[in-house]
Amino acid sequence: MASTVIGANITIEGEVIADEDVVVQGTVRGKLSAKDGVTVESGAVVEADVSGGPMTLAGQVTGNVTSTDRVELQSGARVVGNVKAARITIADGAHFKGNVDMDV
Amino acid sequence: MASANATTIIGRDTRVRARVTGASDVEVQGHLEGELTVGGEVRVTETATIAADIRARRIVVRGAVRGDLNADEAILLEEGAKVVGDVRAPRVAIAPGGLVKGYVETGHAGEGKRASHSTATRAAPAPVRHAPPAKAHAPAKAHANANANAKAHANAKAHTNAKPKGRGMTLAGGKAPPPVVPVLKKGTKAALTKRR
Repeated sequence: MASTVIGANITIEGEVIADEDVVVQGTVRGKLSAKDGVTVESGAVVEADVSGGPMTLAGQVTGNVTSTDRVELQSGARVVGNVKAARITIADGAHFKGNVDMDV
Repeated sequence: MASANATTIIGRDTRVRARVTGASDVEVQGHLEGELTVGGEVRVTETATIAADIRARRIVVRGAVRGDLNADEAILLEEGAKVVGDVRAPRVAIAPGGLVKGYVETGHAGEGKRASHSTATRAAPAPVRHAPPAKAHAPAKAHANANANAKAHANAKAHTNAKPKGRGMTLAGGKAPPPVVPVLKKGTKAALTKRR
């Protein structure tokens, strides 16, 4: 259950720092950092560096993504930026441009 | 997880320093600093701390807000509300246990007659804040400018009396006694050039 939800019709320009889950359905520009999971839903736009725990990305993300856990690019996601995480999965149909940095 | 048109929630362990805009509802449980302008309803819960001007169709407050509240419909300050800032809406309700420090105006949609009351706002023991009121009307501005000018004059005088820097200001101010300028000049520029 997400504690912070950025709804579909909302734009946040600045920084969001959460000690909990964050779900993005709308637009975030700036910086997004969560202690817990981050979900970028289909239709969401994130133009920000994103850091946090487990991440599920289905929307559009422009910026570097750093996770302490796993990053999952779902089908339909558009990610431009470097992704650093312990585990990364990219689903068939996800668009991705950037470096991948896993703990090898 | 919420549906597509669900409200936006800023959770209690979340800090947002940003401009938040949009059409839907927003519930703030955590910390928000910046600006919050939405077309829907804003709910400020008990755990929330907000340092931002809020504009919305409707605002319900149960937490702490430092900033001006402007609503197109209504503002409800419920028990636990602590508002430091001006409150403007066609309907404003302050429930027992709601605390307000600032200017409260009901009866029109946020804007409007603000000019005639701007001085009253100043007179009230309102917070000394300089967040620009969203759209001040011309008369209000004129008023503010008049005040600013008055202050500028006072400052200019003070400067010329105290420090030699204020040559330009004195000229601009016009009212300052002219003899002061040369006297002060001697203290600084003239003295320096003589030494060299």
